[in-house]
Amino acid sequence: MFKIKKKKYDINQSNWGTKLTYFTFVMAFMYIPLVILIIYSFNDSKIVANWRGFTIKYYIELFNNDEILEAFYNTIIVGIFSTLISTVLGLLTALALENKKFTGQKILSAMIYIPLVMPDILMGVSMALFYNFLKVETGFITVLIAHITFCISYTTIVIQSRLEGFDYSLEEAAMDLGANRWQILYKIKLPIIMPGIIASALLAFTLSIDDFIITFFTTGRGFNTLPIYVEGAIRRGTMTTINALSTIMIGLTILITISASKFKKILLS
Amino acid sequence: MDNTQYVNQQKNKLSWLLATPTLVWLIIFFFIPYLIVVIYSFLTPTIYDIKFAFTTEAYREIWNWNYIKSFLISLRLAFLTTFFSLILGYPVAYFIARSSAKMKNILLFLIIIPFWTNFIIRIFSWRIFLSPMGALNNFLINLGIINEPLLILRTDLAVLIVMVYVYLPYMILPLYAGIEKIDFTLINAAMDLGANRWQSFKKVTLPLSKEGIFAGIILVFIPSLGMYVVPHLVGSQDSLYIGQIIAYKIKDIPRNWPFASALSLVMLLFVAVLMIILYNLHLKQQKLKVEENVQNQKKEI
Repeated sequence: MFKIKKKKYDINQSNWGTKLTYFTFVMAFMYIPLVILIIYSFNDSKIVANWRGFTIKYYIELFNNDEILEAFYNTIIVGIFSTLISTVLGLLTALALENKKFTGQKILSAMIYIPLVMPDILMGVSMALFYNFLKVETGFITVLIAHITFCISYTTIVIQSRLEGFDYSLEEAAMDLGANRWQILYKIKLPIIMPGIIASALLAFTLSIDDFIITFFTTGRGFNTLPIYVEGAIRRGTMTTINALSTIMIGLTILITISASKFKKILLS
Repeated sequence: MDNTQYVNQQKNKLSWLLATPTLVWLIIFFFIPYLIVVIYSFLTPTIYDIKFAFTTEAYREIWNWNYIKSFLISLRLAFLTTFFSLILGYPVAYFIARSSAKMKNILLFLIIIPFWTNFIIRIFSWRIFLSPMGALNNFLINLGIINEPLLILRTDLAVLIVMVYVYLPYMILPLYAGIEKIDFTLINAAMDLGANRWQSFKKVTLPLSKEGIFAGIILVFIPSLGMYVVPHLVGSQDSLYIGQIIAYKIKDIPRNWPFASALSLVMLLFVAVLMIILYNLHLKQQKLKVEENVQNQKKEI
């Protein structure tokens, strides 16, 4: 007689413990440095090493530091404008690429994908030299242009993937019912791909506020974003306020992530 | 002209219209800057700027052992970063993909938080963690495992650790997306047919998650190659990575923009060759898949 093996259930249950241990190990690797950073931001000591009691004085210092507040403001402004412009451009591009008989489809797709596979530093260098060649003053506008440029590819691709699932019979039905092209776009297409548009805007905003390298190459004296300020402060050695600033930024990240997932649920339900 | 042809033409015109703003934007702000890089690589450097005098000096300068070494250590770093994040990330992605739907959301959330946390802050947290008087050394000394602090910060090891840390989510997320799509009954089937766990992994799971692995490798390898910030903040002064040399030649005085341009173009060439190879591999893979499908269909008939 055959011996029936019960192995097929193993892959779910057996060595689940090993897998969990491994997962916990990797999570520890990902979180321990961040947790320690957060703990030290409340440490009442100039030197990082020793715990000298709880304090929030670095947080107070932070809110009295004009340079940080200005950098924060700059980051948000650049983030908002680059998000708006790159999302609109991405939407237009995705709508163009949706047409499979579009004669420029191949070249446009290639132009969208090429920036994605370039190391950031190359884009930074090319932009820095481009601005130098044009002899323009670097600052807000030059940073904004650079951010829009690297966001376009991402926004296009995210919206495009949402459009791929679009049910064209809806369009035909609307046309049969006498809707014109604009009505179809406004009343049917845009609402359906809205989650894609929002996802792409969210991605563009995170990419923009997170960027260091490209901003580093395209900004000038006096225009700092938060990552640029933090990097400078790390090199100058003003650690303690940076701990506090980092903690706030990590908190904001968690908040954005939670609200994004909640938002997604509301939109999809 | 019949009606559908007319409609198609109208649609085509509309598509061009929609595409124009992005096309113009990318040509002006993405492709022309690269042209400027090519032009600058043939100019003469001055301490602050460039002179419009043609020379190929920059390209001759690259053939210096120091710069070749920089290229090699950058390649090694990119390779090791990709390798370790794949090794560390694959089981994690697999674990998440096999969890229950509710668990999945929580676990993905755990991956996304560090992924969305600012890049500079994540690097900075390791500086605190690894520094001679930092958390790790304090901990180990207090436990009595070591007497002297480990000098990990400002070494190539620190660069590698932080690189793997920074890029791990970039590997896990596409891997997860790939593994999640696998029909797991196939694995049960393989095991019913007598395959052991390793065989079923090698013959079923791994080939089916190839696309995710592919995407993960591209997402990690390419940015690692030009990495500047990580070695700048946690690396050693003695081994400069290619991204650092480019950044210093652009920003620090004395500047040498032609040389930075030439180095950038060499890196661009590297990336282009790599992408072409990967793209061809991808095409081959898809062709194989199509052929397989055709054969299967023939068999069925």
